[in-house]
Amino acid sequence: MVKHTIPKNLQEALNYLYESSYHVIAGGTDLMIQKRNTAELPPLFNSNMLYVFNLEELKYVIKEENQIRIGAMTSLETLLHHPDIPQLLKDVIKEMASPGIRNVATLAGNIGNASPAGDSLVPLYLLDAIIVLASIYQNRYLPIEKVIIGPRKTVIQPNELIKEIIIPNHDFSKVSWVKVGGRQADAISKVSFAGAVTIDDDIITDFRIALGAVYMTVIRNRNIEKLYKTMSVEQFKGDINSILSHYKDLIKPIDDQRSNKIYRQKVALNLIEDFIKNI
Amino acid sequence: MSMIKFTLNEKEIELNLDPSTRLLDVLRNHLNLTGPKEGCGEGECGACAVLLDGHIVHSCCLPLANVQGKEIMTIEGFSETKRYQTLADAMLEEGGSQCGICTPGMMIAAESLLNQNPKPTEDEIRIGISGNLCRCTGYNMIVKAIQTASKKGDGLW
Amino acid sequence: MWFMRCQVSCGRYRDGVKECDGMRDISQSIPNEDHVEKVSGKSLYVSDIKMDHLLYAKTVRSIHPKAKIINIEIPELPKDYFIIDYKDIPANNYVKMIFDDWPVFAEKTVNYIGEPIMLVIGKNKQTINEIIDQIRIEYKVLKPIFEYKTSVVHKEFKKGNPKQALLKPFKKISFIYETGYQEQAYIEPQGFIAYPEEDEKITLIGSIQCPYYVKNAVLNTMGCAEDKVRVIQPSVGGAFGGKEEYPSIMACQLAVAVKKIGKPIKMIFEREEDMTVTTKRHPSKIRLTAAIDANHRIQGVKAHVSLDSGAYIGLSGVVLARAMIASTSAYTIENLDISGDVYSTNTVPNGAFRGFGAPQMIFAIEMMVHHIAKKLNIDPFQFRMAHLAKQGDLTSTNGLFRDPIIMEKMIQKATEISHYHEKVKEYQDPNIYKGIGMSWFLHGCGFTGSGESTHINAKVKLKKDKNNQVYVLVAAVDMGQGAKTALKKIVVETLKCPPHQVTFDNPDTDFVPDSGPTVASRTIMIVGGLLARAALKLKNTWKPDQEMEVLEQYQQPEYIKWDEDLMIGDAYPAYSWGVNVVEVEVSPVTYQTKVKGIWSVYDVGKAIDERMVLGQADGGIAQGVAYGYLEVMKHEQGKIKQKTMTDYIIPTSVDMPKTETVIFENPYVFGPYGAKGVGELTLVGGAPAVALAIEQAIGKKIHEIPATPEYLMELINHEYD
Repeated sequence: MVKHTIPKNLQEALNYLYESSYHVIAGGTDLMIQKRNTAELPPLFNSNMLYVFNLEELKYVIKEENQIRIGAMTSLETLLHHPDIPQLLKDVIKEMASPGIRNVATLAGNIGNASPAGDSLVPLYLLDAIIVLASIYQNRYLPIEKVIIGPRKTVIQPNELIKEIIIPNHDFSKVSWVKVGGRQADAISKVSFAGAVTIDDDIITDFRIALGAVYMTVIRNRNIEKLYKTMSVEQFKGDINSILSHYKDLIKPIDDQRSNKIYRQKVALNLIEDFIKNI
Repeated sequence: MSMIKFTLNEKEIELNLDPSTRLLDVLRNHLNLTGPKEGCGEGECGACAVLLDGHIVHSCCLPLANVQGKEIMTIEGFSETKRYQTLADAMLEEGGSQCGICTPGMMIAAESLLNQNPKPTEDEIRIGISGNLCRCTGYNMIVKAIQTASKKGDGLW
Repeated sequence: MWFMRCQVSCGRYRDGVKECDGMRDISQSIPNEDHVEKVSGKSLYVSDIKMDHLLYAKTVRSIHPKAKIINIEIPELPKDYFIIDYKDIPANNYVKMIFDDWPVFAEKTVNYIGEPIMLVIGKNKQTINEIIDQIRIEYKVLKPIFEYKTSVVHKEFKKGNPKQALLKPFKKISFIYETGYQEQAYIEPQGFIAYPEEDEKITLIGSIQCPYYVKNAVLNTMGCAEDKVRVIQPSVGGAFGGKEEYPSIMACQLAVAVKKIGKPIKMIFEREEDMTVTTKRHPSKIRLTAAIDANHRIQGVKAHVSLDSGAYIGLSGVVLARAMIASTSAYTIENLDISGDVYSTNTVPNGAFRGFGAPQMIFAIEMMVHHIAKKLNIDPFQFRMAHLAKQGDLTSTNGLFRDPIIMEKMIQKATEISHYHEKVKEYQDPNIYKGIGMSWFLHGCGFTGSGESTHINAKVKLKKDKNNQVYVLVAAVDMGQGAKTALKKIVVETLKCPPHQVTFDNPDTDFVPDSGPTVASRTIMIVGGLLARAALKLKNTWKPDQEMEVLEQYQQPEYIKWDEDLMIGDAYPAYSWGVNVVEVEVSPVTYQTKVKGIWSVYDVGKAIDERMVLGQADGGIAQGVAYGYLEVMKHEQGKIKQKTMTDYIIPTSVDMPKTETVIFENPYVFGPYGAKGVGELTLVGGAPAVALAIEQAIGKKIHEIPATPEYLMELINHEYD
């Protein structure tokens, strides 16, 4: 008999997690469908469920001097309309799913789900997001790329839940987001791309690329990026072929019911090329 | 089983049910509200849409636990309001309903949109109903209906 | 002669003013009959209906595309749980359709993944699932066929002297075009409730298009008397052909179950089940060869249509016929050699979907004509104009275009409102990746050939009670197209009475005669036509405060002569015509297509209700255009890969641009108030229009639909001839 527990506040939630093993569920839009049973029957949850969706104390956006702190249970729709959320994240959320899903979906839910095609993960990787994992003992602060380790695999411990997402401030010269889905709204990405560049006096001082849906996790490679910092814009643009061949080795998409490898790889490279050409 | 307390169509109710039960099933089977429909069971078509604290949600992927302490409104409750009447009249005038299966969900989406944004642009309307699939109308008459309701319902939203 | 009030006029705008003779014009829109229930959520669809002692049914299905069933092990069933299979069928284990090869339940072999083997029935869905988990079916897997290899229906016809025309023409060009599946994706999945009534009667309530198709199929399977089966139509949440023949299968299965168990049973498909096992539009491969003379006139066309019927034939022969007859679309071509085959494969059986073979063929023909012009280096618009059909021309099957054809005016209008010619020039620039495409097409209204008299023999009834309330009794199903409102309107207009004096309840076979299925764009023209006659009769013989009944039966007009075997003569009594223009922008980075504008002009004779026709136009073009570039369904070894609303992509509100539609009047002398068919016309031209637009945008020829980004990428990055 599985337990269904609705904690009244965060402390209670952490206590429950300490006492038993639970699967933490936020809005439900991923888990309710993944564990779907025949219509009119409850979902096939075969572990204890901890419902944290209504923890009001986890619904906030706090602007600090150098960063934004987002409470784990803040809905995507709230973030979309919040003045302090970086434009890149808003651009991503705007094209995710639909209003009905965005009203209950959360960044925490997306991170916990760790889907290779998860759109919101891409800007979090690009913006160096830090995820706060809370347990009864401590808060752990991990960069997002250390939290997600594979398709639907995270390092979140059984006694932990995602408490907060911290996004450091950035002042890029140019930021770009492109989602390639099957249609203009309500689509799962075939490929997604986020790019950012900072230019000072014609020199590239910051260059970042994050790609979604073309590997087991979001692709962000700081070693490649490092090669191009301190280059002149002209030299950078001239080096486009070598940049593309670096990323080509990392892009390992799959064939599935939505698209195929060849398309995904070509489009991912096209998006990088297009971004660089238009700097 | 847990006791879940929430407001449904402006009445407070308490239900002792499995908290993982889909809200859609709670509404249709336990409470006999058949306005919200099951079109896909995966949060894609919007036929199951209801309002949660005035915002559109897909009841087919919302567990009952998540409505604890919240206000839920279905098309049945919404149809008692003046806003509904303005939207319904606009839908009639513009031809926004053909087979009708998506219509309750569209009405909920329209209310959710106008609640937030009483004078939306055409693009904003299209985004507002982007989670409600319609196979009959091609959407144009529904968009027009929401535009008409927004114009005629001055002051309602 | 039908009673007709409106004069021919040159055009109507959506919010413009019509010049009329002062009398109220029937086209003027009235409130939709069932608006209030639909918008308030009170409309009852089959899934909303509750009953005491209701049991649930779930289907156990084949997991192999082709296999022999060696053995089935059923676990011990708890009390009040049942298995229903072919052994329980009282009379015939096939579902009566046009071609009677579809089993109610598989017996010794299965021919597609998803083929029904048995039903498990009981009170609790959880228990049903547990029982199904314990059922063991032993199969001997056989080799399936997925290619176009086994022809099960062959048709052919000729016009003129195609052999001569194709012998030594100035130029001979060949093409191959392919089209994929299209899933109806009605938002309400299929479902039925079946329950026993007194005296061994079985009643079925289902999401259907054809109450009498269902009734006749059940009668045939059960072998019972005519008054032992009743079919009632609740609200239907979209159908588009997908609920034409498929529901008969569920109905037969449930009738067998109700007979054995004696309790009400509900079976509602979930989306994945509906997507993977119900009928879809036939995938096709169309081979065309055109013979062109020195004057750049297409002298002859040789065409072969291959349709994939899936595991069973069902309606496929009729789909093939319609496709072949559409082989000249809106053009006149003197010499034709048209043939076609329906191929059986071990996949889900395919069936009716709005257009019924015409969308496949119209795509191929429109692309061909355009491609010929490009190859000859001549202006496609002029080339097509030169071949446009005219009144008095012979149709593809040596019938006659008896009625006026106003396509030239319609084409001019379409080019005007879309700025087609200017954009064609502007978008020649290959660097801007924009394109505009235009399709010209027709759709034969009503059943092909003699179907109305040989198959259907429609009957309608008007009943009047002592209070002078008139009841419209027909089997026509309103599935959103507005049949209820339009048919009632015809009666109201003819009787010249207030609307509330006429009642149109959803059909119940206990009360309505068989006016035929709600298919083939026949409802207004044929059923409406009969109602207009009946209403006139009622009006002329009106006895106030007395009960009256008027019955009208279809009579094939004398001039319709059709040879079913040779496929010669008038395939249809009338034709509706259309022009679609679609504008697109393609991204050279992602190869995605954005539809920027859609303009349409239609001749449906006379719009019985303008808003309704415009609504059909909006919805039809959305489906037609999406068929051309967006909707993807494929199978892999017989398994459907796109089985959810997430994976089978239909347009959202953001994908559709604003559409502009103009209705032209061209009253059909034998149609009620001049009306012809509407339902399918608005879908058939969408795919070629968008495909031609995409062609211009990317500068490469399109040979298959859907023209997905993946396909466009292939075309752009590889050289194709």
